[in-house]
Amino acid sequence: MNSSSAPSTPASAISRVQVGEQLPPFTRRTDFDNWNRYAAVNDEFLPHCMNDEAARSEGFPKAFGMGNLQWSYVHSLLRAFIGPDGAILRVDLQFRNPNLRSQVLTANGTVTAIAGDVLSVELWTQEDKGSRLALGTAVVRI
Amino acid sequence: MTETYLNDTVINAKGTPCSRSVSYPIEASAIRKWAIAVYWPEPAPEVFMYAEYAPEDFDPFAWGPASYESLLPGDDSGVVYRHGINERALGFPEWKFRAGLNGGMNCTYGVRMHVGDVITDVKSVGEYTERQGRNGLMLITQSISTWTNQRNELVKRTINTGICY
Repeated sequence: MNSSSAPSTPASAISRVQVGEQLPPFTRRTDFDNWNRYAAVNDEFLPHCMNDEAARSEGFPKAFGMGNLQWSYVHSLLRAFIGPDGAILRVDLQFRNPNLRSQVLTANGTVTAIAGDVLSVELWTQEDKGSRLALGTAVVRI
Repeated sequence: MTETYLNDTVINAKGTPCSRSVSYPIEASAIRKWAIAVYWPEPAPEVFMYAEYAPEDFDPFAWGPASYESLLPGDDSGVVYRHGINERALGFPEWKFRAGLNGGMNCTYGVRMHVGDVITDVKSVGEYTERQGRNGLMLITQSISTWTNQRNELVKRTINTGICY
């Protein structure tokens, strides 16, 4: 494996961060192959993430992904932006809509404030038709 | 139809310490597998393939703790509560829900988790509230999880929100 998706924000770019700047998005097509791998490392074999019928019994149209995996996608988004010397100080994320099977999910962020080397970031995930699935905020140090 | 989930026992339980779990020492291979799964199908960052420290979202309790202790008087059930708390031992009503969902997390981070670290998780009761939704009256639960390492340094404090209906 190479390191093409490694945290990549160079230190020289940090001084150029501006309010309103969008973080490079983190995108994954989400389906059983993602969720099964995540379940295997997080012991999270939830029926509504494992088959459509279980999700329908709870009122959803088909299986949906783990909130914890979206949580990880958001952290991956932040890590790539702040680089290996940065630090994630706080993340607050609320799940508003399910990440249904076969959706293309993108984690996004926008810088909303800068105080020294500490950034505030608005966070959200959305599916390929544009609906936002999770909303939140983060504070990071670069 | 349920009129309310919130009796005095539920309301007054806020802040009650419920359990203490201690992890096995964190292994580099567990971090590597975690990163491969999270970043799949793209390659995981090299920093996690030969890891000295774990990503913030890594869970060293994923496959069970090395030890677990209930802090609730009279709770000898032996049941390990990884994500939630033992509502039965707290004396909460035995609610029957159609679904239980992850409502979100609010996490404040301290020091990183490194390979070899042993993490202690103390869980306590957060605030329980309720709200009408399209599926009827929903119970909104909170548990608070505080992780420290073997040097008693704060690793993270997480407020986990659950939605039940």
